[in-house]
Amino acid sequence: MSRDRHLPLTETVYYILLALREPAHGYLIMQKVEEMSAGQVKMAAGTLYGAVENLLKQKWIQPVQSEDSRRKVYVITDQGLAILRQDFERMKHMIEVTTAIMGS
Amino acid sequence: MKKMKFFTNFDREEQWLNEMARQGYQLINKSVAYEFAPAKPEEANYRIDYRFFKTRQDFEDYKALFEDCGWTHVAGTKSSGAQYFKQTGDWGDDDIFSDVNSKAARYKRISDMWLSLACSFIPLFAVLISTGAIHITAFVKPKLLYYTPGLWEMSGSQFWRSFLFETPFAVMRGFSWAVIPIMILVYAAFAYKAKKEYMKSQQE
Repeated sequence: MSRDRHLPLTETVYYILLALREPAHGYLIMQKVEEMSAGQVKMAAGTLYGAVENLLKQKWIQPVQSEDSRRKVYVITDQGLAILRQDFERMKHMIEVTTAIMGS
Repeated sequence: MKKMKFFTNFDREEQWLNEMARQGYQLINKSVAYEFAPAKPEEANYRIDYRFFKTRQDFEDYKALFEDCGWTHVAGTKSSGAQYFKQTGDWGDDDIFSDVNSKAARYKRISDMWLSLACSFIPLFAVLISTGAIHITAFVKPKLLYYTPGLWEMSGSQFWRSFLFETPFAVMRGFSWAVIPIMILVYAAFAYKAKKEYMKSQQE
């Protein structure tokens, strides 16, 4: 099987996709990412905006109906979910092979 | 107070705005010129992004995100490109970018804008050439651009007076088309400069 050319995902893209398994607006995405990464990944406003724009362009996330009139809300697409799974499998394999060689 | 200034480097522009705030001038608007209002001198933190928006809703969403993150949008419109932000309080991040690539990408966007502006004048230039609006006479026989009867038979101060009087008109007659290629070159130069800043800031 040929690997998707988008793999591996960057840490920020991976966390944003993971955060958008449930609908969220920009600021909520940032908070979720920071929490999930145990404070390791802190994104600033301009950086997150650009990242979201790229993910929309790639159709890995999509806008959904929002109750907030100002803030747009996004959610992951099937395509996004597929790429997230592939990257998860990739990392899982890396951990397995590393554990086998170096011990846990 | 209005001030005209032109920057090709965002970092220097941000520092200048911080310096103005230190001297008691607060940025309230930016169109062609910067507009300042007198304020209490303060240590401000201004940051600039460069973006265009397709819809008003996109623009509102963008501003809302920055507000959530502790930034006040002080100047810029949906299609102005440059967006000026000032840190609201002492909480949140000190910068609007958290990685090198997204910070550098501003220069890519401004470079693309200058380049498309330069390119938009090329068809106009092509039309001027193909319709013969640019005549070679201006180079070979510049004398033909002067319409004053008997100008070339005059002498002394009379000649110089008439000659110098008509010269601006003659230049306009013969070379006004040059405005277009000059503009193309100037815009292309700005595009090149921004592209260089882009590559430089990516390596930092």
